Amino acid sequence: MPFDTGRPEMTAEEFRLLRDFVYAYCGILVRDDMKYVMERRLWPRLEALGLTDFSTYYRYLRFDAQRRSELETAVEALTTHETYFFREPRQLKAFSEEVLPVLERRNARTRRLRIWSAGCSSGEEAYTVAMLLLESGRFEGWDLEVYGTDISRRVLSVARLGEYGPSALRSTSPDKLARYFVHVGPNRVRVRDDIRAMVSFGHHNLRDVDTVPLTSRVDAVFCRNVLIYFDAPARQRVLRLLYDKLVPGGYLMLGHSENLINLSADFELVHLRGDLVYRRPELGGGGGT
Amino acid sequence: MSEEGRNAEEVRYRALLDLDVSRPEAREELVTGLHDESWRVRRAAADGLVRLPERGAVVERLIAVLGERDETGARNAAAEALSGMGASAVHPLVHLLGHADPDQRKFAADILGQLALPEAEGALVAVLLEDGDLNVRVAAAEALGRVGGRGAAFALERVLSNPEPLLRLSALESLAALRHPPPLAEVVPLLNNPLLKRSAYRVLGLIERPEVVALVCRGLAASESRSTREAALVALGQHSARMADGGRPAMYAAVGEALRRLLGAVSWVASALESGDIEVKTGALVAAAALREPRLAPLVAEVAQEERLVPEVMRTLACFGPETGRELLASMDRLSLPAREAAGQVLVDMVDPSFVPELVQMLDWGEVDLKGVAARALGRTGALDAVEPLAGFLSIPELAGVAARALVALSAGFRAQVLQALQTSLERGAEPVVLNALVRVGGTSQLPLVRRIAREASVPLRATAVEVLAAVDPSGGLELARVALVDEAPRVRAAAVRVLGQVGDVSLAPLLQRALADDALEVRLAALEAVGECGAVALAADLEALVRHPDGAIAFRAVRSLARLGVLRDEVIQQAVGHEDHEVVKAALLAGAASGGGEALALGLLDHAHWDVRAAAARVLADSREERLLPPLLNALLSETDALARRALVDAVERLSGR
Repeated sequence: MPFDTGRPEMTAEEFRLLRDFVYAYCGILVRDDMKYVMERRLWPRLEALGLTDFSTYYRYLRFDAQRRSELETAVEALTTHETYFFREPRQLKAFSEEVLPVLERRNARTRRLRIWSAGCSSGEEAYTVAMLLLESGRFEGWDLEVYGTDISRRVLSVARLGEYGPSALRSTSPDKLARYFVHVGPNRVRVRDDIRAMVSFGHHNLRDVDTVPLTSRVDAVFCRNVLIYFDAPARQRVLRLLYDKLVPGGYLMLGHSENLINLSADFELVHLRGDLVYRRPELGGGGGT
Repeated sequence: MSEEGRNAEEVRYRALLDLDVSRPEAREELVTGLHDESWRVRRAAADGLVRLPERGAVVERLIAVLGERDETGARNAAAEALSGMGASAVHPLVHLLGHADPDQRKFAADILGQLALPEAEGALVAVLLEDGDLNVRVAAAEALGRVGGRGAAFALERVLSNPEPLLRLSALESLAALRHPPPLAEVVPLLNNPLLKRSAYRVLGLIERPEVVALVCRGLAASESRSTREAALVALGQHSARMADGGRPAMYAAVGEALRRLLGAVSWVASALESGDIEVKTGALVAAAALREPRLAPLVAEVAQEERLVPEVMRTLACFGPETGRELLASMDRLSLPAREAAGQVLVDMVDPSFVPELVQMLDWGEVDLKGVAARALGRTGALDAVEPLAGFLSIPELAGVAARALVALSAGFRAQVLQALQTSLERGAEPVVLNALVRVGGTSQLPLVRRIAREASVPLRATAVEVLAAVDPSGGLELARVALVDEAPRVRAAAVRVLGQVGDVSLAPLLQRALADDALEVRLAALEAVGECGAVALAADLEALVRHPDGAIAFRAVRSLARLGVLRDEVIQQAVGHEDHEVVKAALLAGAASGGGEALALGLLDHAHWDVRAAAARVLADSREERLLPPLLNALLSETDALARRALVDAVERLSGR
């Protein structure tokens, strides 16, 4: 029975086996200095499954009938999903004031706009983008869609529900809080229904290039603080995927501490007044939409 | 750039990406690309050159580009390409270190640093100590910080007394990168030098001498300079990371005393905790542990966003005491997720019965992880009024496990109340883990309820009931398991098979044989395990046939069960050793070793493609205690490149040679 088990220590060999296995599954690399993090995050799984050591857990992931779902659970445990509304405001301001006008002009004929929040976690970023689209006042009557995808099914269910507490709102101003949320409890708010209707969520492993749940190319991708989980080859694969899914001239937004140096020259760096973003060049391989 | 210009650039970029590198002209086309006005094109050209087959000729060509003094972009792109060429670039670059032009020598040193190959150590040391140009020597010092080696470390130590501050600075930085502590006497004079003190404190943190803490404290108390204090914090963090827990109280006392002499120490430590510099943050954690100011606790928890620092965050929070627990609890819903995780874990260890009201309030918050923390903590309070709120979570799948475990913990003091809560929850159709907890707390008195559930409840509850009953009443469990073997749900059948394995005997072989052919993989896997567990030797032939199964899960269990039955034949072991799945190979190796035939197997596996098989083979050979096995182990050690397999080989050699 899974009670009162002492907390086992992960050996170097167990760490390496688990790390390599997780990497092969999703390209997420747990660095050597993260052994403690892996041990701490996976220990509750051992506890829940009634296992006594990490070797047994590794074999469970490899050989048990429930291996696939447990592997997904393990990856969920290893990725932190830290996010909140209106994170990295400088970039969001540049997106609103400088990128959206360009996209408005480019897509004026189709009046259609698609934005992908890749690695959307519990949905705060995808909803933030939807709020920015609405707030810009540029797209009334347009066909707008924001897609949020993440490898964790658990966070996606939170995203769909659209209910959040103070931690998720720590960068949200009172006026935005009043405008885009409704109170559902003393410490809980829910994203307004019309904004939730603009956003779709889906499960996707960014390593898996064949199953992107997007039917058409997108005009902008937010992939902020996601590449940090991957090593260089996996980052290059992910960037190739993002490149392929962007329309020529489409924008890529990375986290403020991320850049493409030594990773990809496929994208061109765009110097906006308020920030630097990347863009898929107008011409190039990959065919049309 | 105009739209037209951007399009032309994209065309050139794509052309280089699509270039056929096997064509003879490819090299010069790529070299032309190195001279392009666009960085993207230059980058594509550099990448292309790295992919060319004739590496020697490419290296020479790239070195020629390095000499084009007016072509800054091309030279940098050539340097980038050279740093991707690996060992084939080392000798020509070492040769370039002797070039008459210092600019070329500096390039060579920089690129050798990027390559970080030990073959360059000697040449770089010579440049560091003898080159006539300061910039080249500085580049060599920086390169040695990446190349490493004993010669590099000692040469860097030697230039610490050089009159050129830039050279001393780069030497200090490289020593820090190599984590090589220089003599304390060399470092102390540099602690007051405004240019060098930050780096000097960094290496000071690497020196294991008792005087170091006092020097760091002096830096911390230096009220005139924020940068000195930050440098001291960096050293403190470094020093603390190597310190055993026993030495910490004395260090905290000394640091606390130094900080209390500093005006506004708490706000200063608070801002250091929010610094963007991870080394400053590390030291700030130690300072916070020394101050134990509850207001700092949420900021300390936020440092957990830097995952590498999580252990230090936990250690720091644990120093604070119960008042901090309340501070953390009050700010929990505003903390970031990593901070909540760290704070929650510490909080669980801090609580006492007086925390119950706040924890119950936390159970009302929306986030599942916060509720989980609260539930775990309630289990640790030892308070009766924690039982009821926990019972409320037994029907919520995400929280039932943690709530049930918390209730089991509380049952030590309030058995009847916990039993009542678990029973009520089960009557309302709770999660399987609740049934598990009920039997854990109530023992055999709960059997009637378990039997009833086994007949009528949901699939997960039925499956759990079968296993739980067997755990407390083996004969009753076996009887129920036989019935469950024909349950329509695979999960229940698999549970029944596990029970047959755990409490059954060889007479159940026919039932297990049927389970081995079940439609559901879940049941077949359970049956493979159960055959070995209950000693059903009659099924050995069925298992042997499965050793060759391509699914590692099946082959692995077949090997283990045969070994457990004691009937794993050499021929079957050989088949398993040839399996594609390395875990099957290891299982066969360990089984072979247990039956006395491990040495030959292990010798054959010392060059297996998978590192962990090689490591396992080394361990099997070490266990043999046969000195005659030393030569093949030493031989394997010579060619082993994997760190963990190498460690296993070194251990084996040491054990067999009696060291």
